[in-house]
Amino acid sequence: MSGTTEGVEIDLSAINGALEGDGGIAHGALLVAFSEAVMAGDEAAMAEKRRAVIESLGPAAFVDTCAVIGSFNVVDRIADAIGIPLDEVLEGMSQDVRDELDLARFTAAG
Amino acid sequence: MAAAIPDYSHAPVPIRDDLKKTQAALLEYLAAPGSWFDSAERLAMAAESRQAPHCSLCQERKAALSPLAVHGEHDRARDLPDALVDVIHRVRTDPGRLSKAWFEGVKRQGLDDGPYVEAVGVVTLLAGIDFFCLALGIPPHPLPGPRTGEPSRYRLEGLSDGGAWLPMLAPEDARGPEADLYGSDPFVPNIARALSSVPGHVRALRELSNAHYLPFAGLTDPGARRNLDRLQIELVAARVSALNECFY
Repeated sequence: MSGTTEGVEIDLSAINGALEGDGGIAHGALLVAFSEAVMAGDEAAMAEKRRAVIESLGPAAFVDTCAVIGSFNVVDRIADAIGIPLDEVLEGMSQDVRDELDLARFTAAG
Repeated sequence: MAAAIPDYSHAPVPIRDDLKKTQAALLEYLAAPGSWFDSAERLAMAAESRQAPHCSLCQERKAALSPLAVHGEHDRARDLPDALVDVIHRVRTDPGRLSKAWFEGVKRQGLDDGPYVEAVGVVTLLAGIDFFCLALGIPPHPLPGPRTGEPSRYRLEGLSDGGAWLPMLAPEDARGPEADLYGSDPFVPNIARALSSVPGHVRALRELSNAHYLPFAGLTDPGARRNLDRLQIELVAARVSALNECFY
């Protein structure tokens, strides 16, 4: 399951938690592992991955990662609580990816 | 008077100034009187949202195949109306399984669109700051104290059906006091419009997105980046959204 952007082939399976290696994204595996640890509230895993992200990507990129995790915990909740549809522009840009990843399984029940 | 900057002294790395200022301003905004709730009520909702992950009913529902199969009372921290507590707890702990049927049930219990949107905004904005702190490895920021003042009762005119569960303000209808709501961005995603019946929430979300993710205008620019490149940013965003079971 892959996609190509800006001439770079990336492994989309990371989004569904099935990534092997970095998937064509610098430090992809580590970023996913850290995100998963935070979302699981796993203190030990967070501590371990936090140190690894800081060491591998640097302090500023670590802060950016924390900020994106925070931001999407806002966006996801708003989208689900208001029942907004996916924008046509964004849907058009991502339809093949959405099909590959079966993201329709997250559509809220009517 | 500028909002008090929260304590980041326990953070393992320096935090950039725009994040500090944005989070300080957001906390101050959450503590201020809103459209439908006063300061004390908004702070009560914020505190209740922090209680939600510890609620046994929410934990049981989260583990169940369907949240509808589990009944009971929420373990609540504040004396808020039942419908409001359910909104707060469900949005905080299990947003991916909210449904239009559930939303309509909440409305039948007497929670109108405006107060619903205000509650959703309070819960979600605070969740973002809290998850940032969790990822960083520092305690959640203390909530500010209550402020004086009454809710504005400002009912926005010109809302229309945008395909969501409740009406939103279309970009072409943002005028007068709401002329600034969407900036001059050529593309206004639905996420930016979602909370538009409480205009303050739209402005707060835009500030949060600018500092924590990307400006809304940059969403369609594949070259937009921070210290993470765009692919890294979107990988983290997508994995978080998948774990939240969010289609958007």
